[in-house]
Amino acid sequence: MFILEFLLILFLVSIFAGVFGSIVGLGGGIVIVPVLTLFLGVDIHFAIGASIVAIIGTSSGAASTYVKDKVTNLRVGMFLELASTSGAIMGAALAAYANSAILELIFGGILLITLVPTLMKVGEDIPKSPELKGLSKRLALKGSYPEKDGSVIEYNTTRPVAGLAGTWAAGILSGLLGIGGGAFKVLSMDLAMKLPMKVSTTTSNFMIGVTAAASAGIYFERGDVNPIIVAPVAIGILIGAAIGARLLLRSRNPTVRVIFVIVLAITAVEMVLSSLGIAV
Amino acid sequence: MNLKDPDSMNKVIGMVLRYGVLISASVIVLGVVILALSGNYSDVASLLTYNPNIPHGNFDVSFAGIIKGLAAFNPLSIIEVGVILLIATPVSRVLISVLLFDAEGDRQYVLITGVVLTLLLFSMLVTPYIPGFHA
Repeated sequence: MFILEFLLILFLVSIFAGVFGSIVGLGGGIVIVPVLTLFLGVDIHFAIGASIVAIIGTSSGAASTYVKDKVTNLRVGMFLELASTSGAIMGAALAAYANSAILELIFGGILLITLVPTLMKVGEDIPKSPELKGLSKRLALKGSYPEKDGSVIEYNTTRPVAGLAGTWAAGILSGLLGIGGGAFKVLSMDLAMKLPMKVSTTTSNFMIGVTAAASAGIYFERGDVNPIIVAPVAIGILIGAAIGARLLLRSRNPTVRVIFVIVLAITAVEMVLSSLGIAV
Repeated sequence: MNLKDPDSMNKVIGMVLRYGVLISASVIVLGVVILALSGNYSDVASLLTYNPNIPHGNFDVSFAGIIKGLAAFNPLSIIEVGVILLIATPVSRVLISVLLFDAEGDRQYVLITGVVLTLLLFSMLVTPYIPGFHA
């Protein structure tokens, strides 16, 4: 393939990945990896190196808007980062001993199961706010965010330990495979901690950059961060994330959830198939 | 800026992320422009092939290699520096959070973000050199 065509396709795909990745809080790696390996014939090592950069780009690019506009819950994000970073180290340590195909199958299977409760919440606008008690109260895991009509939605959170456990799984997955952690982060906040959907996806978006950065060192050291592949990905993803962030702020919670459910279903099926050795 | 103002944390962290992204994107674009002006596309195409036999891949991404490349005005090294700045953006965001929580006098979150920063730096900079990790 001609090099300019290659770069242009990659650039356009990255814009698309940035738009969706920043809305659902997963970072766009799930788009970049299959496009690079299947359509553009790039080795999986380079694809994962590019995916790590794509996740960091989506995260930082969109979070600059989400944080300024106070949709992201900074305290929840930083509290859960305890679990995602330690999980990432654990995943990297496990890589030598664990059968990554089996783990991918397990994680993919869990995602498929979570589709049920997530689908049942389709249509929910603002979750019924739980009483703030215990650890959530001690760590002030509550917040408020502005809706586009100007109203300010106040919310509490619950079950912080379940949230940590789910985020820890997200970290292990990232450390092990370099991809796929974002879905577990959104689900931890949505299903366990009962945050409003937009707060869950934007707080996940805030955290995934740190989890990806935790794994970035090894990919860089190995030479998997290829400058020719990463340049169009980084620029495209940053443009996409800027667009996606503006779209999310104008969207309602139920819309964001529907987009998330679709992406979650694709991610789960992609992981299960990939663990069975079927390239997607 | 008054750091005791509860909104200052959002403002400062938003700013760190925005400038991190803008600076790294500018450096990457600079590298791409220099590369395009050099018109040397045949070498570029060869870089797309993965070669596990070369220690640092087809392109030398070791720190020494990048510094050597920068001295020679190599556009690929300039792109790599932009990528390093992009990777450093979330790290500096965590670092700034520790300082902001300290300014707020919130000791619980100074501890939480401090532990996150330590784990992050350990994972990024130390684990790649521990035998058995990332195998």
